[in-house]
Amino acid sequence: MTTASHAAVTAEASNIDSSARCTLSFLIASALAWLLVSGLLAVLHLVQAYDASFLAHCPIFTYGRLGAMQETASIYGWAANAGLAVALWLLARLSGSPLRSLNWACGGALFWNLGVTLGLVGIALGEGTSTSFLHLPYFVQPLLLVAYAAIAVPGVLAWTGRKQSMTFASQWYAVAALFLFPWLLSAAQVMLHFAPVRGVLQAIVEGWYVQSVWYLWLFPLALAAAYYLVPKITGRAIPSYDFSALGFWTLIVIGDWTAGRHLVGGPVPAWLVSLAIVSCALLLVHFIIVALNLRGAFSSGGPVLKFVAFGLFSYLVGGLWDAVTCMRSVAVITQFTWIDQAQTQLALTGAFSAIVIGAIYFLFPRVTGQAWPSATLITAHLFTTVIGTLGLVLSLVVAGWIQGHDLANPAVSFADIAAHTSSWLHFALAAQALLLVGNALFALHFIRLACTKPAASGVSVFAQPPAMEASAS
Amino acid sequence: MRNGLLFFLGLFAALLITWAGIVLGSNAQLGHLAPYFDENEGKAYPENTPGIAARGLLVYDDLGCAACHTQQVRRPSYGSDKARGWGDRQSVARDYMRQSHVQLGESRIGPDLSNVGARKPAYDAEDLYKLLYTGQGGMPSYRFLFEDRKVIGEVSAKALNLVGSLAPAPGHEIVPTHRAEALVAYLLSLNNVYEYPEARPVEPAAAEKGEHK
Amino acid sequence: MSSSNDPRLPQAGASDESLLAAHEKMLGKKPDEQAHYKLLPLVLLFVFSGIIFYAGTYLNHFSGNYDPAVFDEHGHSASGNAAPVKLDPIVVGRKSYEQVCSTCHQSTGLGLAGVYPPLAGSEWVTGSEERVISILLHGLKGPIHVKGVAFPGAAAMPVFGQVPGSGYNWSDEKIAAVITYIRQEWGNKAGPVTAEKVAELRKKEGDRAEWSEAELLKLP
Repeated sequence: MTTASHAAVTAEASNIDSSARCTLSFLIASALAWLLVSGLLAVLHLVQAYDASFLAHCPIFTYGRLGAMQETASIYGWAANAGLAVALWLLARLSGSPLRSLNWACGGALFWNLGVTLGLVGIALGEGTSTSFLHLPYFVQPLLLVAYAAIAVPGVLAWTGRKQSMTFASQWYAVAALFLFPWLLSAAQVMLHFAPVRGVLQAIVEGWYVQSVWYLWLFPLALAAAYYLVPKITGRAIPSYDFSALGFWTLIVIGDWTAGRHLVGGPVPAWLVSLAIVSCALLLVHFIIVALNLRGAFSSGGPVLKFVAFGLFSYLVGGLWDAVTCMRSVAVITQFTWIDQAQTQLALTGAFSAIVIGAIYFLFPRVTGQAWPSATLITAHLFTTVIGTLGLVLSLVVAGWIQGHDLANPAVSFADIAAHTSSWLHFALAAQALLLVGNALFALHFIRLACTKPAASGVSVFAQPPAMEASAS
Repeated sequence: MRNGLLFFLGLFAALLITWAGIVLGSNAQLGHLAPYFDENEGKAYPENTPGIAARGLLVYDDLGCAACHTQQVRRPSYGSDKARGWGDRQSVARDYMRQSHVQLGESRIGPDLSNVGARKPAYDAEDLYKLLYTGQGGMPSYRFLFEDRKVIGEVSAKALNLVGSLAPAPGHEIVPTHRAEALVAYLLSLNNVYEYPEARPVEPAAAEKGEHK
Repeated sequence: MSSSNDPRLPQAGASDESLLAAHEKMLGKKPDEQAHYKLLPLVLLFVFSGIIFYAGTYLNHFSGNYDPAVFDEHGHSASGNAAPVKLDPIVVGRKSYEQVCSTCHQSTGLGLAGVYPPLAGSEWVTGSEERVISILLHGLKGPIHVKGVAFPGAAAMPVFGQVPGSGYNWSDEKIAAVITYIRQEWGNKAGPVTAEKVAELRKKEGDRAEWSEAELLKLP
């Protein structure tokens, strides 16, 4: 390898990053604010899970509304803002030119966050829709759609205006996520709320939307970041890269067919559930390819690589787990229990958030032209994320396993089930609190970096990276 | 994937095909589901729900009851649903065709509610009001659905009959608000016990043919 | 480089251009001819085939023939378990009787002395199928003798069949059910009447006025 420094190579930190500073800072700052809000709500929600009388007198904080607010804040608040920020930055980087029409993204982000805020207030006041992943009141849903389209504009322009005709796996995932989500959101809004389908079809559309949000939006956003960061940091090309297209298309084509995933044994035709079970198994093809491609993440490296490695680990475990727990003989125990919640946490807190947080640690110093102020804070955040996520997921799994076996035994009353799972829910609460503390540290750290004036020589702190050699390993 | 247009078309086709398969496919199958007319009874099932129950569904929605309660009974050979007295047969699509918002639920922190109106022994409204007012086990109390007011003249006929530490202050009474009345009417209207042909268990002979997975 | 290991400043291991170019090259290139690289696609091929085989088999067994009325994956089609509910003539007959007939003939089947003849133990009910069907289909006017008692015919038996002038338009099945019911209730022990028999008589008589006792007695 030779240290390439000829004119064609742009500097590692260039005006591609710095020109988007304002927009990206705003997106990430709002994402972090929502991350803290959702963490706080999650803590309150878990307290209620073992002590039903907590805040029970207060109609704003019924168990159902708190859960709905928490889910909304984490998906539409944290995940959307952070995922979009990372996707926009990635597309700009890989297109080799600064983002255009950033005003659109700024305005869109403003309205998006306004919409989510209104939505949360609406849910608290009883305007929620009690629809999984779409608890937002009717009146903010169209606003979110318009705001999303505005945020995605620079991303689409970066894709269409890319300098090279060649494309990279990161771009496929990022563009797919940006492009497909508005269709999902509008279809779900119309079919569930504005011209609702009849009867049990609502549950089917709901299942389709939930699985689509995972497989066509959140996971592609995270994978876009992972496919970029792993080779970028290690400096080694992705092994077995020729399979990556297959991995991409299996996710996009098969992911949605898992719509009946959470309807096992339910009042829907059996073929829908069988199809979901089969699709979960077929998705293992995707997970195997991702594991092969990105195994470089598990080599030694800095904290960014560790975040990505933990995220990928959660992603792969989650995929395997999904394929197992959707089988009818397993779902008869695990369905309707805390295990379902554990799976959501593993996918969102583990897979999505860890990778995206890693990406933020990587991109924000480039955007500001500054190093992060403190290495200790980064390490602390890494530890709280890993320990918090694992603790949360494992204690929920144990609680769910106990709950599932108790539910299967008709002699056990619900009060007894609550007593049996209570101590594990305490563990989950502790882990959730740890995650909240870690994320609060991250938010403080972010504010410190964002408030530092960019040094005149900031760009030069980044070493000029060597050129990657195309070597298939 | 050099060709951007082809890439977009591929993405769009993938989405369209799954959407058509899952959503349109099941809509074609279930979208025109009709009530089942029973000649013996001379009635069509599921029966229409009263208007107050429809309002109660909105209360069920906005409080987020579905966070802890499902409304789907699994077949007797699959899980303990029947043994727990939630229903003798599997819930089928037709059960839900008259509900404006279907909430199958994803979590069973509390019991299934598909057949609250058909429990044995039967609940009456007073039982459910008390359950909502006091809470029980893991279920929180929903006191904000009730009004604690001064008795003017006679005690209201709707007032809850509470004793011991729960009893209201002397001269006061606890009466359910309209929201509580609608919610309870909705819960009592949940009664899916009619045996549709498609809800009958599969013949054992047919079950043996397919290995259980 | 002193800063390359600083965790506060994540350094890149490759430039974006070279990253893009390197991967693009790999996509376009023929697979390496080295042995270790050729093994992987083969292994993956086997693994993927295994998954697809499992998926196909599972779907083949548990799709319920893609029938919307199959909710149990072991069911193969709705026809097996979804035979229509069998109409019980006694249930349908009782309901129709209670709704309409009992106004005159009473729930006890004893009628009202001097006005409405009894059905319990009546030879008209338990006797000839043809006569009782005819009475229901087209009605009855004028005096009649039941169990040896004369009824002057103050009240006429209405027309129930799907014939011109009927106020009820009951289907053949419903008429058969009601007759079967009254022939087996209150200690009556006559055989059931089929809807086919009712249809046959309705076709035979077609458009006609109410029967009289004399006309009925001519029927078999």
